[in-house]
Amino acid sequence: MSTRSPARLIVALAVAAVLAIFLLYTAIAGKSTPELSPSQLEAHPGFASVVGVVVGPVSGDSHTAGGLRFGLRDRGAAKSVVVPVVYHGDSPPPLFKATREVVVTGTYAHGRIDGTGILTKCPSKYTAQSKA
Amino acid sequence: MSALAVVLVVALAAAAVLIVCLPFLREPVADDDRLDAPTAEDERRLTLAEERDRALAALKELEFDHRTGKVGDEEYRELVGPLRQSAAEALRALDRAQDAPS
Amino acid sequence: MADLGRAALVVSFGLALYALVAGGFAAHLNRRRLANSARNALVACFFSTLVAAVVLASALLRHDFSFSYVAAHTNRTLPSIYALTAFWGGQEGSLLLWLLVLTGYGALAVAVNRRLLRDLVAWVVPVLGGIATFFSFMLVAVASPFDVQTAPVDGAGLTPSLQNPYMVAHPPMLYLGYVGLSIPFAFAAGAMLSGNTDERWIVATRRWTLAAWTFLGFGQLLGAHWAYVEVGWGGYYAWDPVENAALMPWLAATAFLHSVMIQERKGMLKVWNMVLVALAFELSIFGTFLTRSGVVNSIHSFAQSSVGGWFLAFVVISSVFSVALILWRLPLLQARTKLESALSREATFLYNNLLLVALCLTILWGVLFPIVTELVKGESRTIGRPYYDFFLRAFGLPLLLLMGIGPLIAWRRTSVRALVRSIAWPIAAAVATGVILIIAGAGSSRAGLIAYTFSAFVIAAIVVELVRGTRATGSLFRLVGRNRRRYGGYIVHFAIVLLAIGVAGSSAYGTNVERHLRPGQATTVGAYHLVYEGVDPIRNDPNRTGQYAVLRVSGPWSGTLRTGNVTYTGFDETDNDVGIKTDWLRAQDLYVIADFQKGSNVVFFNVLVKPLVNLIWVAGIVFLLGAVVAMWPDAREQRRLVLRLAPARA
Repeated sequence: MSTRSPARLIVALAVAAVLAIFLLYTAIAGKSTPELSPSQLEAHPGFASVVGVVVGPVSGDSHTAGGLRFGLRDRGAAKSVVVPVVYHGDSPPPLFKATREVVVTGTYAHGRIDGTGILTKCPSKYTAQSKA
Repeated sequence: MSALAVVLVVALAAAAVLIVCLPFLREPVADDDRLDAPTAEDERRLTLAEERDRALAALKELEFDHRTGKVGDEEYRELVGPLRQSAAEALRALDRAQDAPS
Repeated sequence: MADLGRAALVVSFGLALYALVAGGFAAHLNRRRLANSARNALVACFFSTLVAAVVLASALLRHDFSFSYVAAHTNRTLPSIYALTAFWGGQEGSLLLWLLVLTGYGALAVAVNRRLLRDLVAWVVPVLGGIATFFSFMLVAVASPFDVQTAPVDGAGLTPSLQNPYMVAHPPMLYLGYVGLSIPFAFAAGAMLSGNTDERWIVATRRWTLAAWTFLGFGQLLGAHWAYVEVGWGGYYAWDPVENAALMPWLAATAFLHSVMIQERKGMLKVWNMVLVALAFELSIFGTFLTRSGVVNSIHSFAQSSVGGWFLAFVVISSVFSVALILWRLPLLQARTKLESALSREATFLYNNLLLVALCLTILWGVLFPIVTELVKGESRTIGRPYYDFFLRAFGLPLLLLMGIGPLIAWRRTSVRALVRSIAWPIAAAVATGVILIIAGAGSSRAGLIAYTFSAFVIAAIVVELVRGTRATGSLFRLVGRNRRRYGGYIVHFAIVLLAIGVAGSSAYGTNVERHLRPGQATTVGAYHLVYEGVDPIRNDPNRTGQYAVLRVSGPWSGTLRTGNVTYTGFDETDNDVGIKTDWLRAQDLYVIADFQKGSNVVFFNVLVKPLVNLIWVAGIVFLLGAVVAMWPDAREQRRLVLRLAPARA
């Protein structure tokens, strides 16, 4: 009878099983969402999380048919293309405003993002300008 | 930098140097500058002491598991003998090591 | 005074570097005075860092806006307590806090252990020195909190949503946890470097590890509670990468705390424990890399900054160091005994470890997925909530079950008959709970029902253990006093069960309804009837403007609930001020969020009923209690350790 500890076999089988489960899940069943910047949308229409900087003017109301309207450009690129966003849903988070970095989730089609979600950052990560 | 800041910085740096050099200032010449690590004999005694403690703890654990019903009578009889033996051996080995001249 | 702070940090860097280099030489060449000198350098590094910290703290309290950091995070009207919490509100200050805690912990750990574990401590000092060298270098050369400017009239201030007690406590707690994991790592590395790979380093660091793990766990719960009451989106955990960054090292540390018991008793799993302690440490550094680099999008991450690359380099170097050390010392890390049975306490600890590490690694995969997809496919993709929820159930539910089975199984081996005898009552309790819940309508969520029945099993198992143990020893007090570690652990298990019940209840059995209401209109949500009475604007408050929607509520609870939006004067943002009514008798929260529409008297309400959510916060208190019991000093154990480690030396 083998006197080898079953621990190694258990560990090896368990590791293999876990690997199989999550590789299968993320490859087949998992719904991953592309994370893009506004300038990449033209080449990748469809549902995505778009990371960018809010460009004003911000107008409208997310609860109305017309939605909340604003622009979104690439981070760190003041001259990049500005993609229009029409957002419907809950009021945007308190920290949402022009010039702030946000993540807009929605569908890009015909040159426009139909947004369904807006994510802003934790308040401590926005540092305002000091008052002179 | 203000004068106070300069004084404080100098004091801080001096204190740091002093603390670091303290072992050398206390013992400018050391008879034995080796790290006081356990000798081979100390290590052996330590290992034996740990084995003794482990064996006694395992015995105590088995008694407790038997009293609380996790281990049945038959299993208890099977396990207690070898455990008592290894605890006794560990105790004897440690006694021998402690009696032996260093 | 900024110069003093800057100079103090330069001194800290020099001392840390000395501790690393001189300490390494001393340990390698077996030089006592040099080793003591290196140890003193580590202690002096703490004091010099403390000077820097006092300089920054005093600048914050004095509103000295010549410090750029102070101007960026405070203003003149900020209460002192929140001015002080701005210490860790920004990149540079939080790095300084990290270094302060690291050197404080390090100085204390080597001082406490210097007599009993001289040879081991000689190697621990350079390892801690190395970590401190990195952080002090960052503060001196990359992200200094002592940059100066022409002082503006007033500072930018601190966002009002951060001005609350949870934000005073949450970051320092997390830091005490993250940084605390450096101590067992340093001792593990010291054990391998010195060749003393037996259990001494584990016994020496047991309480340190437990303390770090407790701070990290409790800190996360504080953050979750803040998110629930202040941020007002109705939840408490969003699987955000930076939230996960605290959870992953906590899971690795949980696995480590369990598996070291096997090494202590059986001399097994030595390699596994070394891997776990290194994993917990690396994940704690990786977590701060995620927060600071901006490499993944997170609501918590700082903007993309230059520190990310440095942190990544440190993670890579320290990981390579850990792996190389373990491979080098593999011959010394061989197990003394083997696993005797798949049905033993050791085996259940092994299963629990595998599940904890599996959960940790699947979360890590989810966090890294955007980076991996960007590198492989050139397109970043994120994984959402369903992925994490799936694996939380897949690994979390079996873990819950193991928490009940493990304590009822004996060490070495248990017969099937003895196991069945032990788990009979817990199984009966679980089945009875399941039946009652199905009758009560809880069968709507399969995962929720399983979580509840497993929870009943675990609670019954703990009760069975306590009853049997009390019968065997004669008194519950004596039982717990004799083995605080075990019974403290059972209290922590009970806390995890409460957490599981709270999470299952609030997520699987909650109600979430959205309504547009005009004044006078009503809606019914669950057993609650809510009538929107109208708007109550904020009046005569120089610090705030905004409005509240007033709701008259009847049902299980009757009264008035107010929820609205508040804008703080001088801050260009509007906060949700949610209405929460906690009904302790019925163990549920009524949670209402209001969204006002411009130019209309229609208000959009999101009404949630969250059953059992408050058990999550109660679990935090129970968790602390269990950890304190487990950590409580044991005089007998200490005497035994001293006798064992200070043998025949004249």
